[in-house]
Amino acid sequence: MFTAILTKLRSLLQRRRVAREMDDELRFHLEMEIQSNIERGFPPTEARRLAYRDLGGVAQTKEAIRDVRMTWVDSLWQDVRCACRSLRRRPGATVAAVAMLALGIGITTAMFTIVDALILRPVPFRDPNQLAFVWMRSARGGRTTVAPAVLHAWQKSPALAGAESAVPDTALVQVDGTVVARGIARVTPGLFDLLGGVRPIRGRLFDASEVRAGINDRVLLSEDIWRSLYHADPAIVGRAVSIDGKPLVVVGVLPSDFRFPSWNTVIWRAVDFGALPGSAANERPKAYVRFAPNVPRADALRIATEAARGADRTNAQRWAQAEPLAGLVLDPYYQRAVPLLSGGVILVFLVLCANVSSLLLARLTARRREFSMRSAIGASRGRLIRQAFVESCVLGVLGVVAGIGIGWALVSLSRTFLPEAFLLRTLNPLNIDLRSLAVTSVSGVVATLAAGLLPAWVGTRLAPDTSLRVTDRGGTETRGARAATHALLIGELALACTLLVGATLLVRSFINLANAERGLDVRGVLVSTMSLSPPAFPNQPSRAMAARSIEEQVGRLPGVRHVAWSYGLPPDGGAISFGDWRSDAPGTPMVHMDVDRYSVGPEFFALYGIPLLRGRTFEPADREGAVVVGERLARALWPGVDPIGRSFSFLEARFHVIGLVKEIHHPSLDATLDRPEFYEPFDGVGSYTMMSIRCGPVCPNAALVRQRIVAAHPAVQVVDVQALEDVYFEQLARPRAAAALGFAFAGVAVLAAAGGLFSVLSYAVGRRKREFGIRTALGASPGQIRRLVLRDGLMVALTGILIGTVTAWSLGRALMSLEYGVTITDPLTWTVVLGLLGFTTVAASWRPARQAMRADPVLLLREE
Amino acid sequence: MPKTEYLQGALDLLILKTLALGPNHGWGIQQRIRQVAGEALSVSQGSLYPALHRLEAAGIVASEMTASENNRKARVYRLTAAGRRRLEAETADWHLFSLAIRRLLQLA
Repeated sequence: MFTAILTKLRSLLQRRRVAREMDDELRFHLEMEIQSNIERGFPPTEARRLAYRDLGGVAQTKEAIRDVRMTWVDSLWQDVRCACRSLRRRPGATVAAVAMLALGIGITTAMFTIVDALILRPVPFRDPNQLAFVWMRSARGGRTTVAPAVLHAWQKSPALAGAESAVPDTALVQVDGTVVARGIARVTPGLFDLLGGVRPIRGRLFDASEVRAGINDRVLLSEDIWRSLYHADPAIVGRAVSIDGKPLVVVGVLPSDFRFPSWNTVIWRAVDFGALPGSAANERPKAYVRFAPNVPRADALRIATEAARGADRTNAQRWAQAEPLAGLVLDPYYQRAVPLLSGGVILVFLVLCANVSSLLLARLTARRREFSMRSAIGASRGRLIRQAFVESCVLGVLGVVAGIGIGWALVSLSRTFLPEAFLLRTLNPLNIDLRSLAVTSVSGVVATLAAGLLPAWVGTRLAPDTSLRVTDRGGTETRGARAATHALLIGELALACTLLVGATLLVRSFINLANAERGLDVRGVLVSTMSLSPPAFPNQPSRAMAARSIEEQVGRLPGVRHVAWSYGLPPDGGAISFGDWRSDAPGTPMVHMDVDRYSVGPEFFALYGIPLLRGRTFEPADREGAVVVGERLARALWPGVDPIGRSFSFLEARFHVIGLVKEIHHPSLDATLDRPEFYEPFDGVGSYTMMSIRCGPVCPNAALVRQRIVAAHPAVQVVDVQALEDVYFEQLARPRAAAALGFAFAGVAVLAAAGGLFSVLSYAVGRRKREFGIRTALGASPGQIRRLVLRDGLMVALTGILIGTVTAWSLGRALMSLEYGVTITDPLTWTVVLGLLGFTTVAASWRPARQAMRADPVLLLREE
Repeated sequence: MPKTEYLQGALDLLILKTLALGPNHGWGIQQRIRQVAGEALSVSQGSLYPALHRLEAAGIVASEMTASENNRKARVYRLTAAGRRRLEAETADWHLFSLAIRRLLQLA
């Protein structure tokens, strides 16, 4: 057996030598035979003739030997060459099929690369299932952070294998004279050991003993900002960097794929919660724990609750609650949008495969006479199927090669269009790597199978008696082929309908979002955030003086009408307070909500066009705690009652209401971003302050404003200057991207389905030309013929649209989280979808119908 | 004339039996068969070589190119161990088969 395999291998690799040896063998035989004939007495020419006659034909013998020696590899290679020849003969159809396969494979690859970078790469910590974020939950469901004593108690608890804290925040980083805001986290030094698997690429991690000794100016940087802000300075370790105006020492650099606790955290500062400097003195830890391996989760939480209550009396009515870590770091919008978009990609992929499938089916059906011939000579059904399938495989290979190119182009395109924040989350700058290539190959295989098996099966099903008849022009279809084609078309239209419904909902959501009521006039407003910190501005009077000169300078710019200082800018406010709010209304003592707080002067409302509904704005004589509330807050705290004169409190602070203004909104898919607000009186320019500029009719350039501010007082650090419209637009950016993608997918699907419908109908019309000719000769009007063809198209389309409607309806819930202001039952959406599909169907059927109408019966009948 | 399947089986058997006597090239095998079987079993030369190659592909015989007398290149076949086993089995089968046929004919 071994020698048999060797011989097969040899014949594969050394074709020419094997052929030569076969020649030699037969030549030897002939020479011996000729010689034997001569010895028997025949003359040489006669001997030669007899020898050749007896052998029975050298070529035939060689052919017979080759047949015997042929392996399945040889016959497969033969099939491949045959397939290439037949593909080359019909270049148009081949290019169309390869293009569609490549598009399907390309978008699948691109989608996978993006999804892989965002979601699939595993959380790189040791044993991530044992990690969790823990907080204290009150009976009403409020979340609070824990006191430092509680964290210490948890660190000592046997139920937990460690507890550390990480509190995310934003810090101002000064480098090269510019100030940028970056995400920072104040962490306890043992955090990295808790997570496990974190290794710095330069320097070292934090040292707990240093922190205990009171050294709290150590930071770790992420590789990202090391490269982008500090230009990959090789001497970064030990260097002092300026963060929030203070020099902090860098001890190490962490790899760019380490993002904790927030997706945009790039700086980590080691703190000891017993002794925090400055404004963070009241900061409470956010606890992350690792559960001990042998303790059941419920028991561990119970022990943690007891420990927390023992350490801090205010936890008496609270329980410890844990939330798993894995998946915590991903932005909630992407968590919802990405699976849906992946689903969309798969649907488009299927539509394109169905189109290629019907294309192949049509071609195979046209070649039925060839297959009948092969079958008559002796090919088995399996052999025919294999031959047809090999053609699809060749197309599939070409599709994969072209698909890699398309996928690469799409990934590069997305890199330029996706927001920077998105890209920071990815491991590499979105590259096609081995995993993507594997997915490409798999999708190529799936596409080939999906597109090739059905045509191969149906197209080679032959009724042997009818196929070889002379009158058969090779253009008629078997019933099976027609049914398969129609089924494919119906499937395509159903998928296109589903995608179109989804896309329309996304587009309408975006339009609703863009037109949503904001409550204030955002056009013609520039906003700026500035930092006036010590040592240049040691006290309030210095800051006030700087503010006055800035206001004067900026006021001189053309177009500037009003300027207002505040702490807090729409839409986010200056501070957010989460928790329980108590009002003095009878019967409604406590409301749990997140509230935006602004600190503004009376000119703020006029600048933004926020109408005052009742009461008044601030006056210098107001006593402590006088606030102006927005409508939404008033409704929540005092439903149905005039809020003027009422009071409310939060934690230890008490407020009383002197005025009511119209509520402002931050339209966004994330409803938690739209919070009620109230306004406190402005108590002077602080070290971090904001300026609003109302300008018109044309606003000055933001860079010009920045220049003027710095010119007014060089020590001022301008964090940013931008148009307020752009800030609000940020919330629109992602729904816009989703709507654009949905539109693109639906467009591709509808075009593919329309193209499929068009080609199938043209083909059918070509097939039935004789029939139409006879009908016309018998007296049918052109309109009747046209109606016949249109009816065919509409029947198929209606079935497809019906199935698509049902599918879209049942999938409606999946899209809910990305919708704004529309639901799956929205009548306008369905009108648009059905109208568009109906129009597409009629448009695709129009030309074939006209061709049918134009058929001249005389010419057709004469063709017989 | 006997049917083609029997003939193919018979041809294989003849080739194996011939090679059992010693390695030989294609023409030699054919001469030997002509001598032994005479006119009763005419084997077309065109079917000899495909049969030899088929047996080689199945591992029953092995071959190599040699330079024969007069320095001509020829392919010489020889029986492998598997071939020997096959020969014994086929011979036994043929004996049984011909015994059965003879008994059947005697009955009739």
